[in-house]
Amino acid sequence: MTCLVAETEELAQARRLVFLALLIAVAVTVHTVESLLPTPVPWLRLGLSNVITVIALYLYGGRAAWSVSLMRVGLGALLLGRLFSPGFWLALSGCLVATSAMVLLYRWAGPRMSPIGISAAGAAGHAFGQILAARLLVVQHAAIWQIFPLFLLFTIGSGVLTGWVAAMVLEQIAKHPIFQKGKIEKVCDETP
Amino acid sequence: MKLPWSYMTVGDWLVITVLIVFAVAGMAWVAGAPVGSRLVVSDGDRICFTATLDQHRTVELEGPLGRTRLVIDNQGARITGSPCPRKSCMTMGPARQTGDLLACVPNRILVRIDGERKKDSPYDLLSR
Amino acid sequence: MPWNRPLILGLLIALLALTWWRLQPQADEVRRSQFMMGTVVEILAQGEDPSALDEAVTAAFAEMARLDRLLSSHRQESDISRLSLSETGLTVATETAEVIALGLQVARRSAGAFDLTLGRLKTLWALDSDSPQVPSLAAITATLDDLGPEALMLSGRMVRKANPALQVDLGGIAKGYAVDRGIAVLKEHGVTAAAINAGGDMYLLGQRLERPWRIGIQHPRQPNAVLVTVQVSDRAVVTSGDYERFFEQNGKRYHHLFDPKSGFPAQGCRSVTIVAESVALADALATAVFVLGPLSGLEMLKGYSGAEGMIVAADGRLYASDGWAAYQVEP
Repeated sequence: MTCLVAETEELAQARRLVFLALLIAVAVTVHTVESLLPTPVPWLRLGLSNVITVIALYLYGGRAAWSVSLMRVGLGALLLGRLFSPGFWLALSGCLVATSAMVLLYRWAGPRMSPIGISAAGAAGHAFGQILAARLLVVQHAAIWQIFPLFLLFTIGSGVLTGWVAAMVLEQIAKHPIFQKGKIEKVCDETP
Repeated sequence: MKLPWSYMTVGDWLVITVLIVFAVAGMAWVAGAPVGSRLVVSDGDRICFTATLDQHRTVELEGPLGRTRLVIDNQGARITGSPCPRKSCMTMGPARQTGDLLACVPNRILVRIDGERKKDSPYDLLSR
Repeated sequence: MPWNRPLILGLLIALLALTWWRLQPQADEVRRSQFMMGTVVEILAQGEDPSALDEAVTAAFAEMARLDRLLSSHRQESDISRLSLSETGLTVATETAEVIALGLQVARRSAGAFDLTLGRLKTLWALDSDSPQVPSLAAITATLDDLGPEALMLSGRMVRKANPALQVDLGGIAKGYAVDRGIAVLKEHGVTAAAINAGGDMYLLGQRLERPWRIGIQHPRQPNAVLVTVQVSDRAVVTSGDYERFFEQNGKRYHHLFDPKSGFPAQGCRSVTIVAESVALADALATAVFVLGPLSGLEMLKGYSGAEGMIVAADGRLYASDGWAAYQVEP
């Protein structure tokens, strides 16, 4: 068996697809489990599934992050039977703003930001998106913005927390040979 | 396990600081702003006095019969003195919610709370 | 994965469109109050065009002021004052005749518990004066002579008095009628959601921001408490209570809802709330039921298919008509 460059490319593509599928599966699971846990206030969740979005962003870039976050919201809503319910629109709006914030910040700042900062920005975007949707769809008056600062403060905390988890996971993943370009080629070379 | 700070870059600190400053400023703004409610006194045709509800003060309002005393405190606004015969305005409990009304018909004093309506208000109008 | 780019774009556009759509028809409201008919009349109209709303509210106030001039017992030139002064009766305006017809109908069906001819009795008790007192029994019985639903007769626009001394007092139904007409004017101006509240006589037109209007009903003994909340749309809500106008003498409460049979304040209830299709009817029924007391009151309400009521009896117990539950919001 020979190992051509083209094949390596194909392999990398397939690996990427499999990994992305895996990440989406994990994100949907985490999202669903987290939705089922009791919370003191309906909106206050840690947003652990954002860990996966951040990982996808760092491993495969903006498009991957978009796929993970959108699939998470869509599949999560399907699983919980909340598709097109007010809660779904809140989640979708939060996810759109959060992912935009993270992807843009990542693109602009790149290595100058660690997953923690990206995640904090995403969490803030998530809070904003949710309140925006709530203002438009559920509550319909401006008073709702009065809770935004407190919500934002909480969400920055949870963003740092999830970013920290993402940073640790990414550190572990990065040690694996398949994420180290040189090593993979070496592995390939050694297979006759 | 490495602590979060060991991962964080200058950019992270910057972003997080900006967000926290924004949140704290927002909280200060929310706390400092009036509860969204203003008190408006009219004589039926013209507005003769307005005030925010986030203060403690006593106002003497001049009507055709004499002076009606209006007290604003943390419970809302109340009429504590009136020259009218029945004094029913003084029993009309504190007004604090948007839409609440205190009225002294004989002395033509109409006190109303204006502002954005709270979502948790259990009713729109009171039948009494 | 280039397929997701149009998807994201689509979603963002959908969100923007949703935002734009929600922000466009900014539901506006106009809230105005005026002193009128011895009370404060408040009109709250909702719609999309503030200037049209303003115009509608002004027209409604004007109509109500016109009716006040016709029906007030405090104005010398009103139909009611002229009727009270006249010896045998006179021809009144169509509106006045309409109110009297309704009052006489409720008077008949409540076996005289509701009475339009209590003017003299109310003057005697002088509840609105500085220092009201319980009148002497003799004075009370004197005013009750020749009263009752038969003392006033209506044919067309012609009102006849059986007794020259008879004083007509429309009580709340004039206020209620004015509110009904105010609502009609708002409707003519294209208003679909509004509330008019004339010192407790209220009508709720349409909906309050996409849900029915919620009306808190005053607790008859706790000044700042709400007893129950009802949800209504296109209905009148009127509460009559012994706490509205009263004085106390020797530890006893004397209020403004008189029993025409005794000439004293009725004893059966603390408060009665009626939900009905017109405010004038709701007001008349609230007074009638209050005077009749809980049991006979509920019995009489059965004769009015569109009206439902809730009663707080003198002992604090709650009574409600069969259809009341449909309005009440679970606390």
